[in-house]
Formats: sequence, structure tokens, C-alpha cells
Amino acid sequence: MSVTESLRADAAALLADGRAKMILGFRRRGEACIPAFFTAAEQLDQLDYDADSKVNLAAYLRKAEVRECFPFGLVARPAVMRSLLVLAAENQITNDDVRILGVDGDTYHGVLDLNAAGELLRAKYGGLGFDEDDLRRVAEIEAMTPEQRAAFWREQLAKCTRCYACRAACPACYCERCIVERNTPQWISTAARDHGNYAWNVIRAFHLAGRCTACGACEAACPQGIPLMLLNAEVGTTVEAEVGAKVGYDPQAEPVIGTWNENDKEDYIL
Amino acid sequence: MTQAQAEQPATTEGPFEPRIVAFVCNWCTYAGADLAGTSRLQYAPNVRIVKLPCTGRIDPLFILKAFEGGADAVLVSGCHPGDCHYTSGNYHARRRWTLFRKLLAFTGIDENRLFFSWVSAAEGQKFADLINDLTEKVRAAGPFEAANPARRRICP
Repeated sequence: MSVTESLRADAAALLADGRAKMILGFRRRGEACIPAFFTAAEQLDQLDYDADSKVNLAAYLRKAEVRECFPFGLVARPAVMRSLLVLAAENQITNDDVRILGVDGDTYHGVLDLNAAGELLRAKYGGLGFDEDDLRRVAEIEAMTPEQRAAFWREQLAKCTRCYACRAACPACYCERCIVERNTPQWISTAARDHGNYAWNVIRAFHLAGRCTACGACEAACPQGIPLMLLNAEVGTTVEAEVGAKVGYDPQAEPVIGTWNENDKEDYIL
Repeated sequence: MTQAQAEQPATTEGPFEPRIVAFVCNWCTYAGADLAGTSRLQYAPNVRIVKLPCTGRIDPLFILKAFEGGADAVLVSGCHPGDCHYTSGNYHARRRWTLFRKLLAFTGIDENRLFFSWVSAAEGQKFADLINDLTEKVRAAGPFEAANPARRRICP
């Protein structure tokens, strides 16, 4: 059976025995696979899967209308499973809320709960992380002078139109009221000018410290082609190097920011 | 100093005088700065102190906002590890800074512009020396105005 056939069969079984009220997956529209919601077995012949899609369906979990449909099945590649484990660790979802339909390219992993997904990730996907090309570019930027780095990012971030597609695409961006929408006081200028763009993109990346699972959805969603994954990779590699945390492998993990260790690095503190 | 004065470009006339914003905790570094003052220690007048209850209260946004307003450098300072008035605020802050300073350096605000220190209530001399050192460092690095990626600019 192909991955798609297996997905359809398991999705039908989940809907039939009530383990899921809704299936969150993809359907084909033209060349592309787009997110789709399935609530009845007869719709499932539309369920499809595109191994190259960067969409992270876990981003839908924050929507109230989706949360009403718990428990539901969710088609998830390994990076998306990691997002789900992050959400579980942050008490946003429980094991009863979600059935994971695990996929990875041509491999189908069956229906998993959060713990099983954690085991699968630790056993088979321990080395998941940022894209090699992105890490190479990060190293190149780190080797620049501060003025060159500022110039590089000024050029990149000048493109930002503050559409917040990066935020909408990200499952970890679930604050009910985002800091950029707070205006008394206004911490981040909403004008699409250099300083507001800088503050927004830096704070967005920093808010994902210890929470980004390198799924790539933000960068794929950015209509301006800003290399957001470079910012995420910089923060993510720092988290791994300085705190030693592997993000999204344990549904009971402690948050990276919000906890501390007496032996945390402080060689830069005067 | 009024806000209008504080926001004047640093390079109006005369030699460059660094503007350093210091976010300090109420219990250690502010008391240390106070001790430096009551001990009549001379130190560079280039620092603007913002007192907060604890380093754990210092949001990364404060640092960005200071740079946005034209600071040439930012200092963040609090109690030594183990001495926090609220037990663990400085530990929380330390981890946050470790991650945040790397991100700022990556985007163009490097370690010549952002400093962290532990200054206790008894370390008036350390505070005075620290401010003198930082002021000299920033003076050597020059104005941040042009290269500052966070700087508020009305015209693009």
C-alpha cells in the first residue's frame, strides 16, 4: 500500500470508531497539496500527501474551532511530530486530544500517540535538526564583521511587509495576544520600517528559543523570501550548544527558557 | 534629563560621548551604584541607569528598545548567582541573556555593544570601574548610530 492509501485507511478507521472527530491532512489542488479537514469517511478519497510540503499542520491547533473537534487525527512528518511534543510539553495538548498519522517521505509510521511519537523520534530521528545549507550560511554570517552582519540583515529585513505569515504558519506562535499587537506601551513598532522589522524578526526568533523544531513552515510561508530559518538556526544551535536541550523529543520536557541550571554558562558576564 | 534631550543624536557637536543604558536590579547593582555615589567615587557620566526589581524582570525588549532609542551600548547587571533577592531571578535572566546576546550578535549588535555583569551591593568600586571601562571601550568602538540595526529612523 502506498503512503496515501495507508493514510486513507487509518483515517477512515479513526473516524469510524470515534478516536478522531476530524482528520487534519492535505488534499491536492492542481500541483500543490493544501491543508484540508475531513470529518466524514466519504471525503477521505481526497486525502493526499506531499512529502515536500513545508506546511506544519500543528499550527491549526491553536484555533478555537479546531480545538472544539478534539480528539482529531493529524498527518505529521517528523518535524511536525516534534512540534506536537513541544505543544504537549507546554500543556497545550494532551494525549487524548490528538492521534498522529506519522509519515516521512515514502514511509508510513501508522497511528501514534504522543509518547509513541516521542519514542519513534528518539529511536529513528535523533539527528533531526536544521538544514545543512542553512547551517553553512549561518557559519558564513557569523564569520562576517558586525557591520556586515547588520548590513546583511538590514537588506533582508527591509523586505518584510509585516504580514505575520511567519507567525500564522508556526505552531509554537500561539500567544492569544502577540507582543507586536500590544500598544500600551508599544514595544515593537508596527510600521514596516527597518527598526520595527528588526525588532519583530529578532523577537519572533527569540520567542522560539528552545521551541523551534526546524520544520521550515515560517520561511516557506514568507511571501518576501526572507531567510527566517537562518535566525531560527542561530537560536536553535545556541540552545543545543549552551543548554544542551534537544527540542521536541520528549512530551514532558522542561522549557528551555523558564528553567535554569546553576552551572549555566556565564563566561561573558563581567 | 528629559526624553527629548536623551534622544538627541550623540554626535551633535564636540567629541563623541558614548551613551550607555544600564538596566540594573534594585537589590544589588543599584545598591552598588548607590554605594559608589555615597562613597564619592568618580565614574564616567555616560551611563543612564534604569532600575528594575530584578534582572529576571529585564525583558529582551528593553534591550532592543534602548538600541532603538539610540544607545551606543547597553549594560545589564544584577546580583551574583546565589544572591538573588527573589532566589532565582538572576539564574533565569542569565540563561535568557546567553541565548539573546548570540542572536543580537548574529544580527549585527555584537559584544562591543551589549554587556552583562554581576555587581553586588558591596561592590561600589567594581561598579565605578566597570562603568569607566565600558565607557572607554564604547568610546573606542565609536558611535553606534550608523551601524545600529535596531535604530529608529523616521526616513528609510
